[in-house]
This record gives sequence, C-alpha cells and structure tokens, in this order.
Amino acid sequence: MKDCYLGIDIGSISTKAVVIDRQYHIISSCYIETKGNPIAAVQEAIQQIHMDGYRLRGIGTTGSARKLVGLLLNANVIKNEITAHAIGTLTFHPDVRTILEIGGQDSKVICIRNGLISDYAMNTLCAAGTGAFLSSQAKRLDVDVKAFGNVALTSKNPTNIAARCTVFAESDLVHKAQIGYPKEDIIAGLCKSVVLNYLNNVCKGKKLEPPIIFQGGVSKNKGVHRYFEEILKQPVFVDEHGHLMGALGVAILASREKEQKEYTLDLANLSFKTLGQECQDCSNRCELLRIYRNEELLDTLGSKCGKY
Amino acid sequence: MDKIKIGIPRGIHYYYFGNFWKYFFEKCNIELIYSPKTTQELVDRGSAIAPDEMCLSMKIYLGHLSYLEGKCDYVLIPRIDRFDKNNQTCTNFLAIYDLAHHYFQTPILNYNIDTHHDLLDGLLELRDLLGISKMELIKAYEYAKEKERQIKEQQEKEQYQKMSEDGKKVLVVSHAYNIHDDFIGGPLEKLLEDNHIIPLYSDYFQEEQTNALARCLSKDLYWKYSRDAIGAIPLCEKVDGIIFLSTFPCGLDSLVYEFVMRSMEKPYLYLVMDDLSSKTGLETRIESFVDLLEQS
Amino acid sequence: MSKVSYPQMGSYGVPIYFLLSHILEDDIVEPPNITDATLELGSKYSPDFVCTPFKYTLGTMIESLEQGADVLIQMGGGCRYGYYHELQEKILKDLGYSFVLINLVNGGNKISISQLMKAYPLTIQKRHCLKYLYLTKKMVFYMDKIDDYIRQNRCYEQTKGSFNRLKKEMLQEMKEVHSARKLRHIYHTYMSKMKKVPRKPMTKRIRVGLIGELYTLMEPKANEDIEQLLNDYGFEVKRYTNVTYLLFEKRKKVKRYLKHFFIKYRLGADALDNIHHTEELCKKGYDGIIHMKSSFCTPEIAAMPMIEELTQKYDVPVLFFSMDTTTSQTGFLTRIEAFCDMLEMRKS
Repeated sequence: MKDCYLGIDIGSISTKAVVIDRQYHIISSCYIETKGNPIAAVQEAIQQIHMDGYRLRGIGTTGSARKLVGLLLNANVIKNEITAHAIGTLTFHPDVRTILEIGGQDSKVICIRNGLISDYAMNTLCAAGTGAFLSSQAKRLDVDVKAFGNVALTSKNPTNIAARCTVFAESDLVHKAQIGYPKEDIIAGLCKSVVLNYLNNVCKGKKLEPPIIFQGGVSKNKGVHRYFEEILKQPVFVDEHGHLMGALGVAILASREKEQKEYTLDLANLSFKTLGQECQDCSNRCELLRIYRNEELLDTLGSKCGKY
Repeated sequence: MDKIKIGIPRGIHYYYFGNFWKYFFEKCNIELIYSPKTTQELVDRGSAIAPDEMCLSMKIYLGHLSYLEGKCDYVLIPRIDRFDKNNQTCTNFLAIYDLAHHYFQTPILNYNIDTHHDLLDGLLELRDLLGISKMELIKAYEYAKEKERQIKEQQEKEQYQKMSEDGKKVLVVSHAYNIHDDFIGGPLEKLLEDNHIIPLYSDYFQEEQTNALARCLSKDLYWKYSRDAIGAIPLCEKVDGIIFLSTFPCGLDSLVYEFVMRSMEKPYLYLVMDDLSSKTGLETRIESFVDLLEQS
Repeated sequence: MSKVSYPQMGSYGVPIYFLLSHILEDDIVEPPNITDATLELGSKYSPDFVCTPFKYTLGTMIESLEQGADVLIQMGGGCRYGYYHELQEKILKDLGYSFVLINLVNGGNKISISQLMKAYPLTIQKRHCLKYLYLTKKMVFYMDKIDDYIRQNRCYEQTKGSFNRLKKEMLQEMKEVHSARKLRHIYHTYMSKMKKVPRKPMTKRIRVGLIGELYTLMEPKANEDIEQLLNDYGFEVKRYTNVTYLLFEKRKKVKRYLKHFFIKYRLGADALDNIHHTEELCKKGYDGIIHMKSSFCTPEIAAMPMIEELTQKYDVPVLFFSMDTTTSQTGFLTRIEAFCDMLEMRKS
C-alpha cells in the first residue's frame, strides 16, 4: 500500500481538505463551507474525501482553526496559512515571485525570492475588501456571489465605491444604488475597489514582481481578477486549484515530517465538545477554551501563564 | 544665474504662510508655482504614497508634493518644531521635511522654526540660495509681514461683521489647513451656505488673541494650532453652534476636541473627514445639525 | 491621609512603588495588572481614535480609583502622550470620581520631580528623597540590564521559565534594599545565576530586533508578550527602548544620531531613534526586525517609510504591527508564526 497525506485548511468561510501521495499528486479533495462550526466542517470534509488503497501517514492543519482541529486529529504538522500557502504554491509553480491572496477574513501578499518567502504582509484594517465583505454585499444587491464576477465583466463604467472601511462602503453602495446607478456598474465598482484597496493597504511598499499568481476564495471572482490585470498592467495567473493551495502546502509539510505514524480517521463516531470559560485564578483572567473528546479533556487553549 | 522657480504645495503650511510667501517672494522677484486646489485625484495620489494610518491632511499634502514633482526647481517645505514651550506643533510638522525628502526627488527649500530660530532667522539662511542680499531680504520680510497683517485684519473685520448679521451662525473650529482645503472644508462650507447658515472660521481671528483665550478652556494644552483654534470659542459667544472639523485620524484633535466638547454648552457637531467619506453622509449630518439649531 | 496610585507598565511598577513608598508618607495603591477587563473599561470611556496607551492608562486609573486611590500620577511626553492627563482627569471627573491628578511631565517634554513636590509638600528630608531617587534610578538601570540579558538568552534555557523565575526573585529582593551596595550585590548575584542557567545547544542563531512605540514595547499586555513568543521560537531578541534609554541616554544619543545620518531633524517621540536603530540592527546582521506601535501613533507612522527604505536597502525582513485593544490574537499569532518561519527558511 502506498502512503498518503491529508492537509486541511479551515478558514473562516470555507474548509478545504486534500489528500496527496508522496509525489504530491492530488488523490482527492473537497471544498465545503465552514458555517461557523469548524469541527462539523472537518467531520463533513473527512467523509467527502477518499483515500482507498492508501495508508494515511500524516495530517497537517492550517487556517484560523488550525490549532483546534490539529488537536482533534492529532495532526503532526500545524502551520500558519502564510507558510502553507507559499509552500503549496511553490511546489506547483516553482518560478512564481508574488502570491496575491484574498480569503474570507484576511488578505495577504507573499513575495518570493530564490524559492523562499522574502517578505509578506497581511491586511491590518478591517475586513473591507475580503471575501466575507463581497458576499455580504452580493446578498445586499441580491446577486449570487458566484455570478458576481461575471456580472462585473459586463460593465463598461465601474462606479467609484469607497471600500476602505466596511461601514463606509456599505453606505456608499446603498447610496449609489438609490440614486440609480446600474447594478453591473456598482458590482464592477465593488470589484475594482477591492483591488485598489488591497493594493493600497496590503501591498504598500512591496515590489510585486512577475510572475504573479492570485489565490484564495476571491480569485474565483473574474471581475476582481480582471481589475488586478488591468491595474497591475500585467498577466495575473489564477490556478484552478488555487483555493486548495493552503491545504496542499500543509499536506506537503506533513509528508516532509520525519516522524510519521499511521492514522485512522473515525471522526464520525467521536463526539467533540468545546467549553469556553474565564479563568479566575489570577488577574490575567484568561479566556480558556477546553476541548473534550468523548467527555475526555484533550487540552485547554488560551492560557497565558502556562498553567494549562 | 537663471531665475529659480519655487513650488508651493497647497496644503498644511500654505494656509498659515501662504499670504506671507506670496508677497515675500514677489518682492524677491522669484516666481512661484502653486499646486492646484485639492481634488479627489490629488487625495488618491497622496493616499497611494502615504502609510495607511497617516492623517488625511498629510496625505493631501503629499498629493500636492507629488503634483509639483519635476515642475519646479525647489519646493518650499518649512519645518516647524515649536514657537515656544507652550506652542508646539504636531509631530507630523516635525517629520514633514524628512518625509518629503524620502518620497520625492525635487530639491527642498527648507527653513526651520524652533525655540532658537524664528521665521526671519530661517529665511536669512536661505539668502544665498535665493540670490538676494541680507538687506533686501529683511525689506521683503517686513513688506510681506505688513501685507499679511493687513489681510488678516480684513479677515477679522469681516468675521465681526458676520457676527452682527441676522441669521443662524456657526463657528467652525479646526486647523486652517482643514477649514480652507477644498476637499475637507470645501463641501462643508457649501452645505452651510445652502442651509443659510453663516459660517465663522476659527483661524480668521487674530491668533495672539485666540491663543491666549485658549487658557480659559484648557490650562495645559501646548499645541499652537490647536490652541489658536479652540481659543475662538470663548471669543464667539454669540454663535448658535459649533462645528469641530477634524481629519481621520488626527492625533491632536482626538484629545483636544474631546476635552473641549465635554464642557460645551452650545449645540455642537464633531465631523471627521476620511479620504473617501461619502457626500451623502455629510449632508445628512449637517442637515440634522441645522434642524437642531433651528429649534433652539 | 491620601492614597496614591500610578499607571502600569511592564515590571516598572516595582521601582515606582519603591520610590513612592520611601518619599511619601501616604498609602500607595498598587495598580492591578492590566487585564482584558481593564482594556474594556479604558476603551469604553476613551475617544474614538486616540492611541492605545490612553486606553490602557485610563483603564488602570479607573481600577485604582475603585480600590480607593485619590491621588493619581501620570507621566509621558514627546507626542500627544504629554496631553493625556488633562483629558483623562476630565473623563474621570465626569464619571464622578474625586481625586487629584499629578502630571510629572512639564509641557509634554521635561520630567520634573519638582512638579510632584509642588503638588505634594514633602515632610521628609530632601537628602532622604535624593537618596531614594538615586536608588530608584539604579534599580531601573539594573532591571533593564537584566531584561536585556534575558531577552537574548531566554531562548536557550533548558527548563522553560528558569529566567522568568529568577527575575521574579530578583525583583522581590530589590524591593527591600536601602543601599546602593546591596542593590549592586543583588544585581551581580542574579546575573551570575542567570549565566549558570542550563542551556540547550545552539543549533542556529536567529536574532530579531524589536523597535517601535515605547508603551506598546514595554507593556507585555499591549504587545501580546511578543518577547516571550519570539524566545519560545528560539530567537534572540534585542530591544533598545527601555526606561533607562528614554530617560537618561536618549537626549545625548539623539544629538549624535543627527550628526551623521540621512535624517535631518528630530521627528518627534522616538521616531528618529527607531530609524537609527533600524540601521544599527541591519548593520549588525540581525535576521529580522519587528516594528510595533499602537494604532494611530503619529510619530511612528511618519517613521515607517524610512524604516522600510532602510530594511529594503539592507535586505532585512521587517514586520509592522499596529496594536489596538481589539487586535485579534489569532491574527497576530499567524503573522508572527509566518515571520518566524520565513526567518528560519532564509537562514537554512
């Protein structure tokens, strides 16, 4: 039996899982919505993927819920999403110099030199211009978020939308809609403002060297993609597996790990519970999160003094 | 030697020294080039250069500098540290020379004002560059100072005239570079006029007077331009309301206006302008403020 | 008899308590440690876009007042920190507290103990006061030296917490001193104890420089205890900013910085120092630089473009943090982890 490795990227909006073999070929993958419940999402993801005929030798987790899920699955690699994305992308596109990534809550830029991360930046202000923002605006305009990009492509005169801050953007958008701008122009304007905002906020001071690759959930939006190319005045690649790069990267890291063991995935039969509480033992008043598997305490996260 | 051309960015210092510069350089026979009035485009240029968290007024200033890039031999950028212990400036005023030096290539005509150097000292250091003698420079300085004083007097007179007019009056309290900027204070002025409100401006009063009066409100405040601004409040007892105009995220205003507002008895409005504020938001806020004034 | 309290910053509460307890006859209310509850209190009553030290100190003041304090001390200057006190006094009085607030910093610039004396006619001999002032200064000096050593060595300790335990013990002993000789003795004892702490073998040496705005750097709660985090990663940390530097060394050094440097003027607060330290760190071959400030810290915002220019010139990665009371810890950790990964990958 051949070895395989599982990588899971649990983001705020979506959860991605991918199974690869030693040669980094994708055996199986899935993409589901997190819906605010990372544990349920992971359980569902594991049911959707298959690895028949392979031995699972490593698990890696990344994304904002990486610690929690890593603990549950007893993962051998828990990595932040920036490193995971870079590793994943570099494995499939070794010559890439710049990775643009816009996800659900975060957006980031990663600069690469000589196959190594040389610089990166993440959004510092609020969630304006990220995936969550786009889908909430799509709902407001009553357009399916998946069709959003195509609608944007039909516009010839994108409206100017102030997208620096979610609150301002919403009021501006509502206002523009009220005074009668065509919907496709507003949508295109929104896509364009996401790009401008991203370049002004996240990429300030960074040199964006070609080849440039665009990833994350928002990369599926053709409107945003188009404005990236228009404003940067050069081709920007979007990989069809772009949304999986984080999961891929962490699966690759799991395969590189020296210590390997055999895993079985019977998550479906287990019950997980998390319990939040405030520790009263000292003046730090840490917010503790206790994680139980089948009533057994696995770990306590969030303690600052190292008591747990 | 060819005559030099000096670029004046229409931001920050322009609103304090613009009149002085105009007459001073006119007397020195030096040509000035002004950047245009602030537009959305200049704001965007500035925001593209500046760090995100920098205040809008500075972003606009950088936008003006970027407009002047390559259009003149020198840009005039003074640095003002402090006039005395109780009249200091915002740290952006301290860094403005080095920031401009970092971002732009055009040579900078710079003088420095601090406790040991006043405006004349600063200008005297530039006399070789300007190609004029000490005597000429002092003459031009005195001429420009006199002109500046006359303009100021006129402005003040108009303010008092307005104050005795009939109708609702509002005092706009802010830094001069916010009040008279076409992007920041411009829309406000227009909206006030549309609503038949007579605006008075804190910087049109004599600064010696307002600066001293600021002590009635705050005993420890040590920023000159903030003192000049809030000092107009006790001077304008007769106005119906006060508008505090600030730019996002001005460090001084965040403290000073909060402090003053806490002891305000008149109706007041606190407006913070962002580089992308929508005009409707401003309209709604001004109109509801006007309604409030009408009731009282 | 009144009860005196002061704002909290790092472990500097120890020398401040030491000083006040010896020169004042009044009771002293030790301010409680800063917790999320403190921040909530502080943020609730603070203006919109004020910098975060305002919120931290306001929160602490409310907690001290709740514990019965009626004299508060505030100090700070160089930027808008110098004007905190008047607004804080107003906010607290509006909340209905009655107290006296003493600002030790004159016109936003000079620290003067005489300010304290003016508000507080002393009954104790001047000589006695001077002695304890001197001892406090020395205590701060030794503390800063020890902290500097810890930052650069804690990453190699075999048993986690060895250095922190020693420091705690040292501070405890320092509280009881009455002579400079005893103080020096404690310092040397603990320094040699620390040098003997069992260490892990050094596989690869990664050094990170920490620069930025002073309060955020010196209060662990405000920087998510970044020094400990980096040390846990196995990285050495260098930080220039400490109270000794700010009070006793800065003035002289700034003059020197300005002489041969591409920056022409002082930039306000510690902006110039930080730019200079960036260059120093780059030249000394540090592997990375982390710049931390509280949100909307004006002088540091102006310094950032120059810091970026330098780090690009020397090809040293730099990470900027703008800390707010609402900064999400997860997002912060992700950025730090990625930065550490990046430094490790660059090194190998």
